[in-house]
Amino acid sequence: MNLKCCKKFILIGAAAAVCLSGPTVTAEETVASSPIAIVVHKDTQVSDLSLEELRSIFLADQQFWADRTRIILLVRAPQSDERDFVLNRIYQMTEAEFRQYWIAKMFRAEVPRGPKIVFSTNMALDLVVAIPGSISFMRANEVTDAVRVVRIDGFLPSEPGYPLN
Amino acid sequence: MERDLQQKVLLALATLAAPLVSGQEIIATQASLDPSQPEVNVMGFADVSYISRDGSDNDGFAIGQAVAHLSASLGHSFSAFGEFTATARDSEYSFEVERLIVKYDFSDRLKLSAGRYHTPIGYWNSAFHHGAWLQTTTTRPEMVKFGSRIVPIHFVGILMEGSLPSRDLGLEYKAGFGNGRHANIARAGDAGDINGNKAWMLQFNVNPRGYRPLDAGIGFYTDEVEPGIGPPVEESTFSAHVAWSRESPEVIVEYLRSSHELVTDSSVSGDVDAWYAQFAYRLPDGRKDWKPYLRIERTRVDNSDPLLGADGLDYDGSILGVRWDFNPYASLKAEYRNEEFDNGGRENNFRVQVAFVLSKL
Repeated sequence: MNLKCCKKFILIGAAAAVCLSGPTVTAEETVASSPIAIVVHKDTQVSDLSLEELRSIFLADQQFWADRTRIILLVRAPQSDERDFVLNRIYQMTEAEFRQYWIAKMFRAEVPRGPKIVFSTNMALDLVVAIPGSISFMRANEVTDAVRVVRIDGFLPSEPGYPLN
Repeated sequence: MERDLQQKVLLALATLAAPLVSGQEIIATQASLDPSQPEVNVMGFADVSYISRDGSDNDGFAIGQAVAHLSASLGHSFSAFGEFTATARDSEYSFEVERLIVKYDFSDRLKLSAGRYHTPIGYWNSAFHHGAWLQTTTTRPEMVKFGSRIVPIHFVGILMEGSLPSRDLGLEYKAGFGNGRHANIARAGDAGDINGNKAWMLQFNVNPRGYRPLDAGIGFYTDEVEPGIGPPVEESTFSAHVAWSRESPEVIVEYLRSSHELVTDSSVSGDVDAWYAQFAYRLPDGRKDWKPYLRIERTRVDNSDPLLGADGLDYDGSILGVRWDFNPYASLKAEYRNEEFDNGGRENNFRVQVAFVLSKL
């Protein structure tokens, strides 16, 4: 086998490897262009949460705001980059673990229902505006003035050190 | 008689099928995103096992429990839960209201409820309930198995629970007050207490925020028991547990010590010591559907125990198994069990189980 033939095989092999390896863009890379912002209803009396407090809210360990308003959690449906990012960084769970967590939580009578599912950023925005006590997440460049963005560990999404980048 | 049996089988199937039948309703309620509106969620669990025991002529398949679970959010703070089971018996199905709870959440600090519960003793009894799919193994530990005489599995009464100010320690409490055991001590006093002495219980748990999902706790339970045969007995139970519920690894260790003493003669007394330790590990990457596990158990009852000493409840068990989650909502578990019941010699037993959940999540 000559050198030219070898190179041909290597090129074909490399091309096949790229094709077979499938998509390599992760949810984190996809949202890298804009960090994930945590947004709440305008009347919610919260402006800053630690990442651990946020985790407690998303896990429904904390179910009320300080003024005793019930927290309504809105989560994107599966197959969205924002959801994958939040499962990875806030829940630290896989999709299967997330599902099992909520089934167990409901079965233990710790919550009467799972998180409410939203199918788009616009739907999340509309519901956060409409439902007192609600909290959701979306890319920071899609946030509007109709909702309040919460600082996480003291940082806004636009600031260096923001943990949901 | 045959017609009665047929009706019960149909009821069992209806119990299992309830989540499917109400699928349209689920979709409709999911579409309703107004949290002040009532919302009903339905889930179902079921399992089928193949059981082989040393020296048994009855090896074969067994239908486990068909479980229907309903939860209803009736506004921001008021909710209701129900858990109903159909269990296959020799010639019929037995139906049971396992849990029925109405609950009002005042805040994270105070949630008040009333109804029929799984008694908050230790970890397993209030963590896994009746869905075999939720637990790693095919069965509960012997000390908290359904129908256990060692632990009062159910209680009927009121329960106060919530979090306590503790910064990042995640301190939680549960305080219960209600009917204790029935004359059949494996059952709760569903239709009223058998005597005037109510059972009460207190449990404290910590879930440190920086160490999720660590759960450690201690609990205390006391009651005056009036067994169907024999004089009344004072029962005091202490429990302690540590659980790390993430799957790589999963560790659950639970200990229970129960003291029984004749009300009329304190010199007649005895203790129960029981514990188990369970370890499991979800394999990484390409084998993440597989979870090998191991559980070791031991129960000892003093012969002098006035409530349980004559029941032959001593137990030693070692379980080695593997769970395969071949579907997001179903699992196959295979176990080898080396067990000894009431010092009757070691048995080598095998159990294979398919367990699944019906859920919209």
